[in-house]
Amino acid sequence: MRLMIFSDIHGNLEALQGVLADAANRNVHRRICLGDLVGYGPYPDKCVDLVRGLKNCRVLAGNHDVAALWQTSPYGMSSAAKEAILWTMDQLSDASKKYLAALPDRLDLADMTFVHANPYNPRGWRYVLDRKHALRSFAATKCRNLFIGHSHRPLVIVKKHLLAVEFQTVAGSMQFPVNDGKRRIINCGSVGQPRDRNTKSCYLIFDSRAQQLEFHRVAYDVEKTARAVHTAGLPEVLSRRLLKGI
Amino acid sequence: MKTGNRGQVSTTNLKRRFFLWSAAILIGGGLLLSALSFWNTRRLLMTEAMAKSEVILQEVEAIRSYVKKELRPKMFELHGQETFIIEAMSTTYVSTTIMERFARAMPDYIYRRASVNPHNPRNLADPFEEEMLDWFEQDSTRSFWQGIVRKKGKAFFISMVPDYFAPACIRCHGRVEDAPQSLIDRYGDKGGYRFKAGDLAGIDSVAVPVSASLKEAWQGSLVIFFITLLTTLVWLWLFNLLFQRLVIERLGAMVSIVSEKKEGEDGTAGPGDELDVLNASLGSLRHYVHSARKGASLQPNFIGDYVAVQPIAAGAMSWLYSGYAAEPADKVALKIGFNEVMQNPLYRACFETELQLFETITHPCLPKVRERVADVLVLEEIRGRSLLTLRQDHRMDDQLLAVFSQLCDLTASFHAAGVVHHDLRPQILMLDEDQQLQLIDMGLASTDRQQDPIAAAGLGPQGDLLYMAPEQIQGRRGDPRSDIYGIGVLLYLAATGHLPFAEERKSLQQWLQQKEKVTTPRNYRASLSLSLEGIILKAMSYDIKKRYQWVEDLWEDLNNADRK
Repeated sequence: MRLMIFSDIHGNLEALQGVLADAANRNVHRRICLGDLVGYGPYPDKCVDLVRGLKNCRVLAGNHDVAALWQTSPYGMSSAAKEAILWTMDQLSDASKKYLAALPDRLDLADMTFVHANPYNPRGWRYVLDRKHALRSFAATKCRNLFIGHSHRPLVIVKKHLLAVEFQTVAGSMQFPVNDGKRRIINCGSVGQPRDRNTKSCYLIFDSRAQQLEFHRVAYDVEKTARAVHTAGLPEVLSRRLLKGI
Repeated sequence: MKTGNRGQVSTTNLKRRFFLWSAAILIGGGLLLSALSFWNTRRLLMTEAMAKSEVILQEVEAIRSYVKKELRPKMFELHGQETFIIEAMSTTYVSTTIMERFARAMPDYIYRRASVNPHNPRNLADPFEEEMLDWFEQDSTRSFWQGIVRKKGKAFFISMVPDYFAPACIRCHGRVEDAPQSLIDRYGDKGGYRFKAGDLAGIDSVAVPVSASLKEAWQGSLVIFFITLLTTLVWLWLFNLLFQRLVIERLGAMVSIVSEKKEGEDGTAGPGDELDVLNASLGSLRHYVHSARKGASLQPNFIGDYVAVQPIAAGAMSWLYSGYAAEPADKVALKIGFNEVMQNPLYRACFETELQLFETITHPCLPKVRERVADVLVLEEIRGRSLLTLRQDHRMDDQLLAVFSQLCDLTASFHAAGVVHHDLRPQILMLDEDQQLQLIDMGLASTDRQQDPIAAAGLGPQGDLLYMAPEQIQGRRGDPRSDIYGIGVLLYLAATGHLPFAEERKSLQQWLQQKEKVTTPRNYRASLSLSLEGIILKAMSYDIKKRYQWVEDLWEDLNNADRK
């Protein structure tokens, strides 16, 4: 079974379409979106529509999704994020809001767990970027592979032993074998706003038979999206981030 | 099963019948037991008395023989042939005298030497003895008699043997002129003469009193009878209580359901008991179902703007009826929950889940939902026939991949949406002439978005055990790999035209044992490719970890397999 895992679309329709088109040629059976369909980007409603119509696709809630529904306050976010959320609230249709409101925080599937940010406090939205938070995440689950998003940086964290973890950076499209029985936290990167100084969209395919992770980077028309951000009246910093991949 | 309070229901017929029959059986059993006990005690008593009397008779015979063969010849030798000393030479005198002395020490053993014409009047036969002498005289082969005789209000066990005159006896019992003078002097010349050799001389009898023993046996039997009667009463009370709790109350609840309607039709109670009432009701129900299936003689059922015509199939929680819309005229299918499902909150929750799944999951293999009218789901028309027709040499060959691709795709969609069907079986899979597969039931499905009522209630395995995965039989639910097992069984059926297991009533343990040993598909169809057999056996692995973990893997292997 080949499982496509993607996250953090952030209203970037161009990037989402590119990623889905790329995955369509890679014999993907199921899809799991780890949240943040909206926020930052200029096409939140269209992105929700597109994801909602995907076949065999499960979607989790991200911090921007719940903020856009006022389930959490956007005023705790950065200035640009807050402004984007307030703008997004007006863009979302009732159907999209209803859809986002029904999204779960966590999904367990066989020996895999999926969350947007972390499993120990899903709605606390803490990043898992260091040893402390990685160990907490391992302790909060029993699964072999934990898939997360939220940080917009693709990353593989391998549990070496009780207190040690190894961070494996993902530079571009890469493949990682995971048939050694070790536990891992896998961050699938971001579709709509990568922050690893690579402007290409990032997504992941997990092949259960080959026991392999495939990170894929897909180029899209970043400038077009940046213009759309500008046209929508969203903060300029958001378009600059897209252009630089930060 | 809780029956609830359905009010007082007349259950006297069955209860009375049960009480009377059980009372008759138990009291009859008690009587039989006491009679058997009496008979056995009497038999033992007779055997003992017979043994004792035989000893006495043998003893008397020994005395007589001793007198005849030892004493008498010796006396003749000492005193001459003309001498006859009664005290030493008369067998009767010696034997009766010794036994009289014996009787003083052992009064329970009464020895008698009786004759119709004795020398000694004391030995004259009484009426009973006379009868017995006649009896022995009628047939000389009769050599023994035993029996219980009442004399003077007391019962005796009597053993009798006849004694016939030998030639040597005729001197004293023949003509009076030949008899010894001492004999005539003692007994006179009236009795004891005029016999010939071979005539019946008399009878020797031993009587053992058995009145007391028989009385004891009778009392013992009475005690047994009364104890049995008492125990019977206790058992009857317990049986009655048990029967009331286990049968009558539940039966009463069932009867009240059918009698509600009966009362409306006819106030008078009919003949027979509650089971007869139920039997009659089931008969009419069968007739009703039969009629409903034929779609004849019944008024159509109107549901909103739709008319239900006849059932197509029965799902886990509901009927699927064919029907039509009144306006515009169009054929539809109607999913209608079973009455018992609608009345049970637990099953109703399952049915509600099923309806929600039909409404929310869109797939070419699921009939489209037109609308929901209260608890009835109106679906688009269902065409084709069920996959059950694959049985018995109607295996799929060419269309196998087409059908199972659809089924795998549908199952993958379920699993991707967090739904486990739990009940994939041919009866609820319809295939039309365009090879389009349609799943018409999801009554036992669970979804990870809400709590599974069946698992929460711990209901145990639900569904058809034949197609059920071993872990499901063990009570586990919610694992998508259970559906892969179901697909494996369907694949087996489609590829071979045979089921992997016999359709017979078995315990859960027996089912598990059978699921562990699957007959390989090539046993039924030797030409089946090894790759397809491998796929079927892997999908049907007893060990869930050895099974396909994802339905997509099964689908992929099926696509690549040699399907011949």
